[in-house]
This record gives sequence, C-alpha cells and structure tokens, in this order.
Amino acid sequence: MAPMTQEASAATGQMPIAARVHLAHAVVQKLADDRGIDLLHLKGPAVLPGLRADGRQSSDVDVLVRPSHLHVLVASLESVGFEQRTDFATGSVFAHAANWWHDHWGWVDVHVSWPGVTIDSERAFEVLSRDSVRHPIAHRACPVPGRTAQRLVLVLHAARSGGGPDVEGAWDAADPAEQAEVRALTAELGAEVALAAGIGELELHRGAPTYALWHQFVHGGTRLDEWRARLAAAPGARAKADLLTSALRVNRDHLRMELGHAPTRQEVRSRQLRRLRRAADELARRVTRR
Amino acid sequence: MTTYRIADDVAWVSHEELDAEGMPCAYVTRLPQGPPTTLNGPACVVWLALSENGSHDDIVAAAALLWGIDPDEIRGDVLALLDELVALGLATAG
Repeated sequence: MAPMTQEASAATGQMPIAARVHLAHAVVQKLADDRGIDLLHLKGPAVLPGLRADGRQSSDVDVLVRPSHLHVLVASLESVGFEQRTDFATGSVFAHAANWWHDHWGWVDVHVSWPGVTIDSERAFEVLSRDSVRHPIAHRACPVPGRTAQRLVLVLHAARSGGGPDVEGAWDAADPAEQAEVRALTAELGAEVALAAGIGELELHRGAPTYALWHQFVHGGTRLDEWRARLAAAPGARAKADLLTSALRVNRDHLRMELGHAPTRQEVRSRQLRRLRRAADELARRVTRR
Repeated sequence: MTTYRIADDVAWVSHEELDAEGMPCAYVTRLPQGPPTTLNGPACVVWLALSENGSHDDIVAAAALLWGIDPDEIRGDVLALLDELVALGLATAG
C-alpha cells in the first residue's frame, strides 16, 4: 500500500464545488464567531432536512447579515482574502446583496435583506433570526433560520428565480398548519406579494405596486417590461429617479465578470450602445405589433 | 498515552456527507485561513477514525476495521499520517 501521507494533498483545484461550499460556510461562520457578527446561513447546506429535494446543491454561499454588522463582516471577509466583485447597487434588482470571491472558497453572496421582504431590514433580520437554530455545516455549528422562516426564504427565492423545485418541498409539502405559520410570518415581514408569486396566488394582488415586478419574475418578459415593473415598484419619486439613472448605466460589475477582466472605457461604451440598440429593437417590435 | 483529536478550528466534510460516490474522501481545512486539504482513500479512513478521538492504537484499530485490513499492516503509516496532520494543525495530540 502507498504511504498514507501521500494521500493528503492541497486541494484547491480538485475539490468538488459542493465540498467547497460546505467549507466556505464554515469559514464565514468562523469569522462571524470571532467578531461577534450576527448572520444567518441560507440555502444550500443550510437548508434543514426535509425542506428540499435531495440532490439539490448550491454553487455559492448565501448569508443574511444583520445590516448594522455588515461593515464588520466585509472587513472580516477581506482580511482573509475575499475580493468584492459586485456591490449592493449593482448586485441585483433589489440592491439587497453583493458578492465576494475567494480563490479557495469561491463565491459568497452577502445579503442585507431578502427579496420580497418589505419591512426595515434590521427589523426583518430580527424576525428571521428569532427562531434560528444551530445547524452543522462542515462539522461547525452555523445559525440558520427556523423551519417556518426557511420555508418562506426558499419560496421567495423560487419566486424571484421564476419558479423552481424548492416550492414543492418548502410549500407544497407543508401541512395546513405549517402553511398558516408561513403566512403569519409573511405578514409580519410584509412579503405577501412575493409569497403569492411563489405559490401561484399573485393574481390576488393585482393592485399592489410590486405586482408587475413579481409577475415579471414569474412569467418573464422583455427588459423594457422589467424596467417598467421596477419603476412601478419603486416607492416614491426619489426612488424612481434613482432607478432611471441606474437603468442608463452599464453594470460594470457584471460586465467585469462576463469579460473576466475590468472593462475598458471602450468596452463599457460598446455595451452601452448594444443596450440602446436592444431597447430600440424592443420598442420597434411593440410599434409593429400595434 | 498520547490521544489524538481533530483540532478545534477545523472544518471538514466527507464524500459520504456530500452523497458522492467513489473512493472515500474528506475535505479538510483550518479556519478561517485554509488552505483546503483533500484526504483520499486510506488517509480519509484514518481521518474518520480520528473523528472518534482516541489513542494511536484506537485509531489504528478503527481505521483497520473501516478499511478491512490487519492493524499491524497500517500501524506505521497511520502514525506517520497522524504526525503530519498534527504538523498541519489539523489534529492535536495530547
């Protein structure tokens, strides 16, 4: 038999993504423990048994951090070599998450709120962490939301992603009492429209400002439809103005990830023109249909 | 008698926990700096035995049982691996 010591090796290149994700959750939790950071691990290996179909795997780590602890978490992540790749303004429609990358641990998505939740983010963290439990990931105790909150998180994520198998385990398989608990939590978090989008009840909320946005997520549509929906959902004139301004900018973070390098001014300009042409094409198609 | 255990600041996951098939494998790291280390085959078996804590003889016996091999055939290799794991900070001896 070959000496066993030859069987131990540095593993960055050969480690499966699933293993990397488990270890990365543990890394983030160690940072949180050392610095007194409140956070919850979400999705992937953080999902409690029975809430998700077997075999579902995540390719990144998702954590929800207490918003007032965000700056400490960011400093901690960057102290061990994580590099920020998107910021909160460009990371998503909801400006709720930003991404960090590490050559060993891959992607970590840091959320300060969860799409669909409309109450104050600090208060929402209190509510979502109220019944949290310690769940072992990579043999480390990691705080995760309780079962009711996990069901809601999974359904909201599925709705945001245009549906998916998570609804089956998180909602369809829940008994009426469990579903009632999820609805009560949903009301507390102001997430009724998003939950409805996830469980096929969106039409009950046709008058809601965010109806069009969630309809867009569930049923899809053009970029123009998406921006119209986002505009309708933005609360107040200032938010609508900010949204329009950001709509005109190319997302440099995403372009950098797509190109694999920091985009040059010419590449940004080229992308800007491409977006303009796409918008013009969409408008032309609408005019033709009339 | 010297006893061994996994160090306090270590995270790890085995292929079995990942529902993966193939050769026994464990992915191990110190927190939070890393780097990750892969323990394949016999090294993984020793790691799983180490996770139960115990003396060198205990771990040799557990690994031999898991591997289906005579303990005397692996005693020296197990000790060498345990020493290496201690040197890497992945295990402690005391």
